[in-house]
Amino acid sequence: MRTGSLKAMDYESDDQQPAAPSDERGQYWVICLEKVASTQDVKAFRELFEHFSPMIKSFAYKIPGLEQAEPFAEELLQETMLKVWTKAASFDARLASPSTWIFTIARNMRIDLLRKQARHVINNVQLYQDGDDDEIALDDIWFEDENSDVFNQLAMQRSRKQIHESLKLLPIEQTEVLSKVYLEDKSHAEVAAELKLPLGTVKSRVRLALNKLKLVVDR
Amino acid sequence: MQKHTPMVKYHPDARFLTDYAAGCLPASQALCVATHLHYCPLCRLKIGELTELGAELFMQQQPVKVEKAALEKLLARIQASPQSPISPVQAEPSVSILPKAVNKLTSGNLERLNWRRIGSNFRVSRLNVGDKQRETSLFCIKAGGHVPHHQHKGDEITVILKGSFSDHEDKYEVGDFIVRTNGETHKPVASQDQDCLCLSTLDAPIVLSNWLLRFGLYLFNLGTPSHQTAA
Ligand SMILES: [Zn+2]
Repeated sequence: MRTGSLKAMDYESDDQQPAAPSDERGQYWVICLEKVASTQDVKAFRELFEHFSPMIKSFAYKIPGLEQAEPFAEELLQETMLKVWTKAASFDARLASPSTWIFTIARNMRIDLLRKQARHVINNVQLYQDGDDDEIALDDIWFEDENSDVFNQLAMQRSRKQIHESLKLLPIEQTEVLSKVYLEDKSHAEVAAELKLPLGTVKSRVRLALNKLKLVVDR
Repeated sequence: MQKHTPMVKYHPDARFLTDYAAGCLPASQALCVATHLHYCPLCRLKIGELTELGAELFMQQQPVKVEKAALEKLLARIQASPQSPISPVQAEPSVSILPKAVNKLTSGNLERLNWRRIGSNFRVSRLNVGDKQRETSLFCIKAGGHVPHHQHKGDEITVILKGSFSDHEDKYEVGDFIVRTNGETHKPVASQDQDCLCLSTLDAPIVLSNWLLRFGLYLFNLGTPSHQTAA
């Protein structure tokens, strides 16, 4: 299923908002989401779509060696933005910024689609199928709207600024590992195997990065 | 999520938390992290931050061109379906003290599960998390009882859901996330006052057809299907 290398992609050149820091324009997207939720405002939804969909597609293409990369990206985009439409009312600006909320939906949807593909492959070769019907739903493991507590949000906004400003100061080997983990769907163990590094080295690169970003993890 | 919980002492490390926030942790291990999060406000805060980091990396990606037709296609789908945006479902106050994911897996009724007894103090029930590389199960140690001495053939994560147990190193309480790596031996003993219920996932690189037998062989080093012969 995952063979070959990344497919070539063409980049958006026109009608793309300048790469504004995500929390500066954040308030605007909050308003858009609220309009979608309260009045099913198609114009607001159109703006959200135009802003976030190139990122969702990019996120889909990051999966290495997908045979059907274009249909996969198309499906991820459609399903993620459909969820943004149907679940807009459950978006809570006190709990998450719009980009964090949409990232979370795209992340879960991507796991879900990959899992469906994997299951398809497994069922085809009749590997092992006892009690597959009891399988747990993904949203019960990776929450979309429960992993933040309201009282944490001030701290969260501070760290988002911090992350935004410090990310570009990280050494390349730390950014590389972070983007493999977050964007290419590779666990620490898989990154270690790919880069032919000991697991401990990958772990310490991530730790150093989190430290520079001044996150509380590991404190 | 519970806000007031006893002090959780053992937490997933940065590797588990980052892989979880990124969505690339294997499902069975992610279930263990999610279960720990239910009990641990500190790790929920960390996951919040790590998710912010993910969102920032997500938004800094090189944008990929999206055809105009994509939006029209989606709007057509939205119009065709009778469902307009759904109002948020008010979460029902949870009756159970167990985490949501564990409740789902057990349909809220532990007794409904298929338990296998091993010895007089120990029973185990396998869960299906859709992760073929690992064995995920609930196990229960009777108050004061112990798990037969065993050696791990793979890495094992255990999260305590009820009660507590001790081994030669420490005492572990509800919410604790305990990692044992390949080759370590330990002999957990449940505390005297109540039964101890745990969620656990074990790396299982070999796929055999009879899971129960395999689990017995793995975890308790029984050597033969009859456990009387176990050391
Ligand atoms: Zn914790």
